[in-house]
Amino acid sequence: MLGFIVKRLLMAVPTLLIVAVSVFVLVRLVPGDPASLLLGDMATPSALADLQRRLGLDRSLPAQFGIWFGHVLQGDLGQSITSQQPVLPLVWDRFLVSGRLVVVAVFLAVLVAVPAGMVAAWRQNSLADLVLVGTSTLLLSIPTFWLGLLILLLFGLKLGWLPVVGHVSFAQSPGHALMYMIMPVLTLFLHEIGVVMRMARASTLEVLRLDYITHARAKGLSEREVMWRHAFRNSFGPTWTLIGLVLGNLLGGIAVVETVFSIPGLGRLLVDSIFGRDYPVIQGCLLFVAFVYVVVNLVVDLLYPLFDPRVTAS
Amino acid sequence: MKFLERRPAPNAWIGGLIVGSLLLVAGVGAFWTPYDPLALNFTAQLAPPDAVYWLGTDEFGRDVLSRLMAGATTSAWISLLSVGCAVLVGTTLGVLTGYLRGAVDRVVMAFNDALMAFPGILLALGLMAVLGANRYGIIGALAVAYTPSVTRVVRGSVLSLREREFIDASRVMGNSGLFTMWRHVLPNCVAPLTVLATSMFGWALLAESALSFLGLGVPPPAPTWGNMLAASRSHFDEAVWLGIFPGICISLTLLGINLLGDALRDRFDPRMRGLR
Amino acid sequence: MSRAILLPLGAALAVIGAGPAAAQTVNVAINADIRSINPGVNRDDYTDSVVLHIVEGLVALRENGSIGPLLAEKVALSPDGLTYTFSLRRNAKFHNGAPLTAADVLWSWNRYMDPKTDWRCLSEFDGRGGLKVEAVTAPDAHTVVMRINKPNALFLDSLARTDCAMAGVLHKTSVNPDGSFKSPVGTGPFKLGEWKRGEYVTLTRFDGYVSPPGSSPDGYTGAKRPLVEAVKFIVIPDPATTKAALLSGAVDTAEVQATDLLEMQRSPKVEVKTTTTANKHVFLFQTRDPLMGNAKLRQAIAASLDMRQIVGNVSRGLARPNASVIHLTSAYYDDAQRQGYTYDPAAAKRLLSEAGYKGEKIKLITNKRSGRPSFDMALIAQQMMQAVGLNVDIEVLEWGTQIDRYNKGNYQMMAFSYSARLDPALSYEQIAGPKDTQPRKVWENPEALKLIDKASATSNVAERGKIFDELHKRFMADVPMIMVFNSVDVNAQQKRLQGFTPWVASKPRLWEVRVAK
Repeated sequence: MLGFIVKRLLMAVPTLLIVAVSVFVLVRLVPGDPASLLLGDMATPSALADLQRRLGLDRSLPAQFGIWFGHVLQGDLGQSITSQQPVLPLVWDRFLVSGRLVVVAVFLAVLVAVPAGMVAAWRQNSLADLVLVGTSTLLLSIPTFWLGLLILLLFGLKLGWLPVVGHVSFAQSPGHALMYMIMPVLTLFLHEIGVVMRMARASTLEVLRLDYITHARAKGLSEREVMWRHAFRNSFGPTWTLIGLVLGNLLGGIAVVETVFSIPGLGRLLVDSIFGRDYPVIQGCLLFVAFVYVVVNLVVDLLYPLFDPRVTAS
Repeated sequence: MKFLERRPAPNAWIGGLIVGSLLLVAGVGAFWTPYDPLALNFTAQLAPPDAVYWLGTDEFGRDVLSRLMAGATTSAWISLLSVGCAVLVGTTLGVLTGYLRGAVDRVVMAFNDALMAFPGILLALGLMAVLGANRYGIIGALAVAYTPSVTRVVRGSVLSLREREFIDASRVMGNSGLFTMWRHVLPNCVAPLTVLATSMFGWALLAESALSFLGLGVPPPAPTWGNMLAASRSHFDEAVWLGIFPGICISLTLLGINLLGDALRDRFDPRMRGLR
Repeated sequence: MSRAILLPLGAALAVIGAGPAAAQTVNVAINADIRSINPGVNRDDYTDSVVLHIVEGLVALRENGSIGPLLAEKVALSPDGLTYTFSLRRNAKFHNGAPLTAADVLWSWNRYMDPKTDWRCLSEFDGRGGLKVEAVTAPDAHTVVMRINKPNALFLDSLARTDCAMAGVLHKTSVNPDGSFKSPVGTGPFKLGEWKRGEYVTLTRFDGYVSPPGSSPDGYTGAKRPLVEAVKFIVIPDPATTKAALLSGAVDTAEVQATDLLEMQRSPKVEVKTTTTANKHVFLFQTRDPLMGNAKLRQAIAASLDMRQIVGNVSRGLARPNASVIHLTSAYYDDAQRQGYTYDPAAAKRLLSEAGYKGEKIKLITNKRSGRPSFDMALIAQQMMQAVGLNVDIEVLEWGTQIDRYNKGNYQMMAFSYSARLDPALSYEQIAGPKDTQPRKVWENPEALKLIDKASATSNVAERGKIFDELHKRFMADVPMIMVFNSVDVNAQQKRLQGFTPWVASKPRLWEVRVAK
């Protein structure tokens, strides 16, 4: 088991390395640099040169990469050029904010969508199935940022039930924090139900027509027992993989939801730092996200055997 | 051929209808719209939907309906081109790595996986900042973002196909590797590729909207559904229609694409056949 | 124990909503967190706003843009224009109680001039910008003498620059023994309280503050008594949230957008003040471009634009057109500066044919930064230009990219915004210069450059006035760029806030301000 984990992590290293180099190069190809942005229209050539020297931007690209990567290997992602805060704590804090939203939304979505998908598969082609499939397809067709805007419009502006923008840290006031989380979580939740339900239904359908299900029914087990004891455990596998993918993707796509609700999350950090050419933050962010993606997929693969005994961890 | 023997499912009808309408509107929008989507008109700023402006006007007095139509053209064009490029490049890479294997396969797939480790939007953000925030930048960025999926799917197909007898038979007959790939391997990849391409068309549409929403998409004043949605935020109070209609367009189109994709998948997936 | 988590309004409201902490705290909304508490290093406008409550320089900007005494109560200039003698105020104290002495000024100045400090304005005073401060001495405890290399009528203006933190005098205890910066110990009316990154910055009253003479604030000098116990600058990035905070009383004063003006005016608790600033919103031309180098073409463009339409529209009727780079409320703004462009489409068409324009494409670059009129200006201008037969394409760039193009001079026409320069010579210097060494400059007419140098060398007001009038005439004839308008700040404040006056430099001043019950 440990060997498996280590092997998988090692396999991820070349990927991460490629990510690190590509991000580094990509970000410097973009016209405009942090120094000119910081100085704005007050950038005399000397002031610009001074600032670029201080930021280490006057060195050659390989040298800059070497310095940055050397620090990364020691766990130091550098300092934000804009705010001069250390990057790793900054990225981590923002990640917690985004992560909280994503995990809660996906968890709730799975709670609702998996049973719904199973029901739809069980009663395939009935009215219930049609309604469920139709709803889920509709839900996943609505772009999250529009859904968010509509929810904001309805609950925030028209009804005034919930605060329009912002975020409160849990350290400050858990009650308040929860209130601010409701709308963004609702937005993500509705969207992910669509995605998860379809997958749950599809994999349940596949399992249901397998021989051992027929066998279980023949043995006299009730439908409910058949579904729970046999169908669920064996069909959850692909859904579980999908959850991993969803979590990973959401971290990227969440930028739009964060923009709509003005949440200081990881997505917004990335977008803002791109606009501000804050190289260390962009690099740190992307590297971090790639790493999270690898870890999430690893965990998904590790837990897969729990759901599908045919698959062993190796 | 087998799949013509069965009547298309309701999925396909509705989905096809919607997508067809989009393409129709996009086509028409390229040549004609009720009003000039770019003309500023200060006498009719933020006009609600009425007989003159069916869907209202925006803060510059531009007709929303015309902009939606022009936006359809742009969005459709961008999605088609980016998916097209991804399919072209991805198929080539997939066939090459699947057929040749070895070092080529390992290197290409390492880069492929690295690319896939980037959530799509982030990759697009980065590439667009380099390639430029215009339609060609987006097409390029999306093409790069989607190529890995195509490569994987095609490679998977090729890997499973190359062991089949008819490939050997072809080689024994004296056909070159290239010809074999062209004549025998590729056609069998078409099915999964079509399903994927349909989904990607939807992803591209969504991605373009999301990027425009974040301010990195097709820049104004050219209308796209995404940047129309983004601009509507500052006028939420006074002009709610600015935010409703572009959203409906995107959602409807995506719904159509998803339904169509489902129908195609059901059609092509042999395992599902018995269940319809 | 979780660390402080960044946030926009939410925690702000939660924190404010936890009851008005001290009844005597004024809450000010700012759009973004400050960059640093180290004066003049890593700054932006919000940072300056806060830091300039803590530190003070030898001289400072007055309300009308001229320079007045602050820590120095008198400045004497030697006849050769090279030696400035600053007589320090006797009663000024640092936050730690230590009296202000010339040795402190010396120490502070030397620290700024040390490259390791990373003072943003270092190149302005070390010779690389032409001006060099050759020597700074302290002949006695209350006199500081500075000698410069060439006569420069703008030396004091440069010292008073807000983006240089006024070269604010810091006490030695502001730095750690190893030289790294600790906390700003200055002479200003407020001390640094707490900086919660991403959330707020609080300043507390400096009880030992002795104000410069005066009955009311005069720019950054005049009366500066701290009448409230504390000031809290709260970070609220979103304009809609700022509006909500004002209307609910959670914030005492904030800048709002022109579109919110009506709603603010309708509220009984809030009053709104508009102030013309010295920010410049312009259209730049690249006179070295093969197409745009044609002067008649540029004149045609100027004639094709209805300035009143453009300005009225993008500023929601708040601002007036201004064709001069001297701001509307400057003491030097007189009839000569009022000479603007004439909107004449027929003349524009005529000029176009005289220019030999054959329909070549012109790329108009702009950006979509929020709160800036550049995009709207470009859109409306495009329509007007197209109406006279010009082929104009708008290219929307992201700000970082546009700034890069601006610095390199790589554009044909651009909608741009300049930050404020209160002295007219400095304002002209912003846009004019030799393009070979400074590609970002817009105007390189050698006569104009000579005039600007002359205006920078003399302090005689009448003489300068004449030079500026002459400069404006040339400016209108050459059309190196089109100056469109000075932006108008819309400031909303609670009626219970007394004594708060926004001014042309846009930065809020929380001294001489009290909160009525």
